[in-house]
Amino acid sequence: MKQILLITDGCSNVGQSPVMTASLARQEGITVNVIGIVDYGTIGELGSLEIREIAKAGGGMSQLSGTEKLAQTMQMMTRKTVVQTIQQAVNRELKHILGKTSVEDLPPDKRSEVVEVVDELTETTPLEIALLIDASASMKPKLAAVEEAIRDLMISLNAREGMSRLAVFHFPGRHGGEDAVLDQGWTSDLSGVRSLFQHMAMRGATPTGPAILKVIDFFRYGTINGNQTRPEDNDEREGMLGDYVV
Amino acid sequence: MKEKGCSVTTSYRTSIPAGTLVTGRWRGGRYLVQRLLGQGANGIVYLVQQAGTRNLYALKMGYDALDLQSEINVLKALQGQHNAEDRDLSYLVEVDDFTLGDREIPFYVMRYVKGEPLSKFLTRRGGQWLDLAGLNLLKQLAALHKGGWVFGDLKPDNVLVSAYGDVELIDYGGVSQNGRSVKQFTEWYDRGFWNAGGRTADAAYDWFSFAVVCIHMLAESRLKTAANQLPQTRSTADLVQIMNQEPRLRPYSNWLKKAISGGFEHTDEAYEMWKRMISRKPVRHSVRRTPGWLKSAFAISLFLLVCAIYLTLR
Ligand SMILES: Nc1ncnc2c1ncn2[C@@H]1O[C@H](COP(=O)(O)OP(=O)(O)OP(=O)(O)O)[C@@H](O)[C@H]1O
Repeated sequence: MKQILLITDGCSNVGQSPVMTASLARQEGITVNVIGIVDYGTIGELGSLEIREIAKAGGGMSQLSGTEKLAQTMQMMTRKTVVQTIQQAVNRELKHILGKTSVEDLPPDKRSEVVEVVDELTETTPLEIALLIDASASMKPKLAAVEEAIRDLMISLNAREGMSRLAVFHFPGRHGGEDAVLDQGWTSDLSGVRSLFQHMAMRGATPTGPAILKVIDFFRYGTINGNQTRPEDNDEREGMLGDYVV
Repeated sequence: MKEKGCSVTTSYRTSIPAGTLVTGRWRGGRYLVQRLLGQGANGIVYLVQQAGTRNLYALKMGYDALDLQSEINVLKALQGQHNAEDRDLSYLVEVDDFTLGDREIPFYVMRYVKGEPLSKFLTRRGGQWLDLAGLNLLKQLAALHKGGWVFGDLKPDNVLVSAYGDVELIDYGGVSQNGRSVKQFTEWYDRGFWNAGGRTADAAYDWFSFAVVCIHMLAESRLKTAANQLPQTRSTADLVQIMNQEPRLRPYSNWLKKAISGGFEHTDEAYEMWKRMISRKPVRHSVRRTPGWLKSAFAISLFLLVCAIYLTLR
């Protein structure tokens, strides 16, 4: 299962619409979640609207959060999204087999069996999360909290039975044209990583849309510089569910 | 971490007024809402009276059918493995949905636990009651662990204590199977928060939380200070330091250190050690609370009494 978690505190202002690129991500089987940080001042009417739209287009959820609640919010979203994705797949299967539309329509005893399966899959499904951090000037005072929250997320992910890993990006890069920078490639262990965000140059631009495209590339090819191909990982979810739901 | 404030499930969070009759959609059970008992991350709990009887129960309405069902599954599994001597046999009473307007609200009915949260109880009865409440809590945990479960979100609010120190755990939403990930936790009581280990559910996870609960109950302000440090520097050494500094914690410190480092073989051992500890503990209060003048007054009257007896018998 693949997720992008975008953490931002404002509006995009360069390049393609992030709502469109989030929609593209979704078509690639990547769910996009968005957290809007609201520590100093507000994110603004436009900002919160954009956040909602990105999440909607990306099939995920959005939430405003202060830095003190960030770790909590990230984990809640990640978990809920995993459950939701599995639930949607289960619902499709149910519809296929029973003609029922959702878990909620089942009588309690049947529901209990289905939920057991959902819980099992929530715990065991392989999970890849790409964190995409807005590093525009206004985010600077919040980055320490963001890094802490990422480390805390890693602790929770490591407790899962299924393989879990994350990658960290920030955007924009140092010069124009560098839409996103990879800070940390796929990993399941951050304890050896001293500092996540090292080569930061805070600029005013916020190319959220193009940055999402870069991350989609990374999911595809394992690099953000496009073209270098790698055999595509198959999404095994459907097959696994086929075994469980009978 | 507590899954509070999620934006996707906001529909039926407002509470239902007293006097509402809740009728089950599938099984037809009928319950009359008497009052709100409490509200949590996963749902709202009401005190209800079973229609046509005088039985009182607690009824929990969930915000999300899946979350609630997964809690119910745990309760069912626990119920299944209890043997006859356990009183917990009747905890889960009924599971159903309630139609309210155009919404279906999932709910379950459980035994109504009369009691107050641990912190309130200890404030009212005095900190020394932690001896007994702690012992009973460990007993509950031992039973849970034996069945292969871990409570997970152990915190003062989830421990209800009755008048004489009997303990009941509530909120099984955070219970995980041994070896799975802990689904719900609260910062202060979380092993990961103190950089003291992972969030994989094992008995030691609950021991750790139990120990922090004790520290919280007897040294809240010191715990708060330690918890507010920079995340990278937080460690169990801070907790140990609190134990050494706070006189009220000192009698417990050997036990607590062992709990924090996950040093017990199993929870029965933790229980036995706690029991030995509280029966051996020096009685502190009489020494501290008897003021000096009272003691000398007592000594004088005792002396006079002895004299009087001596004089009469002579
Ligand atoms: N069986 C019960 N008897 C009496 N009171 C209860 C019972 N179960 C729950 N309550 C009350 O309802 C409140 C909320 O219940 P509970 O903790 O189960 O909800 P929750 O949504 O899981 O909350 P959280 O996870 O935030 O603690 C409790 O704090 C308690 O006061």
